[in-house]
Amino acid sequence: MNDDSTDYLDQQLEKARSGERAALTLLVQTHQRSVYSLALRMLGTRDLAEDLTQEVFMQMNGNLSAIDSNRHLGFWLRQVTTNRAIDQLRRRARVQMTPLDEETQLFSAEEASDPLLQRHLRALLADLSPAARAVLLLRYQEDLDPVEIARTLDMPLNTVKSHLKRSLETMREKTYATSAPRGQVL
Amino acid sequence: MSKDIESEMRAALRPVAPSEEFSQKLVAKVTSRRSAALKPRRVASGWHPLAWWSGAGVAASVVLAVGVHHHLEQQRLQQSGLEARREVLQALRVTSQKLNLAYEAVKSQSTSLIDEQSGA
Repeated sequence: MNDDSTDYLDQQLEKARSGERAALTLLVQTHQRSVYSLALRMLGTRDLAEDLTQEVFMQMNGNLSAIDSNRHLGFWLRQVTTNRAIDQLRRRARVQMTPLDEETQLFSAEEASDPLLQRHLRALLADLSPAARAVLLLRYQEDLDPVEIARTLDMPLNTVKSHLKRSLETMREKTYATSAPRGQVL
Repeated sequence: MSKDIESEMRAALRPVAPSEEFSQKLVAKVTSRRSAALKPRRVASGWHPLAWWSGAGVAASVVLAVGVHHHLEQQRLQQSGLEARREVLQALRVTSQKLNLAYEAVKSQSTSLIDEQSGA
């Protein structure tokens, strides 16, 4: 996001705070993809993801006065989404992730070069603990660095780095360790 | 290998958009809630601003009426006090006049008695 668009979105945030409908619509449209994707990959089903996305944006409505920039809004939305998702997952023992790939492919903007491998990685992601899953999503979906991830999840930096290292090792082992062709692994 | 898995993760976790139908519902819900939140609130539950002003007017009228009544009552008491004072003064004046007359009568009787005795 360049400086011009950042300034423009900051102005829209100001207008949204004073009740301008079009500005609020633009902010929702700008951030819904990130919030929805986090919710979908944390919780695993489209219904749960839509419910969480709606809850997060409704909560945003009541907190606009405390948000000072579009960048802050993005941070706030990621933080609330991941924390709420982790809470939900902790209340449930385990989530069935099977519908995720079909839905993802329905709405994915660009088709993957290796859809089977990517489906496999998403399935491995679903097997991780909620905290480790949130760390990987913030790293590879939201492109945050470890320091930003630590701030978002209110987690020590070393724990973030440890989650990243261990999760990637696990994924690498489960994906590439066998000498069998990729299609058989998946 | 690490680069491979990381780039594959980025590709696998590319953000996805929600359905158009959900997106429209979300925008409608969020914006309508915001509009409702920004509407001016009533003074209290069920209190229309007109009702508030009417209530304030009635309260002011009651205070004014009590004030006027108190003032008139004070004036009435003051009037009756002045009236009583005037009556007392009148009574004293009458009494004084009667005493003067009695004194004059006694004095003239005394004078004539002394004259008679000195003449005799």
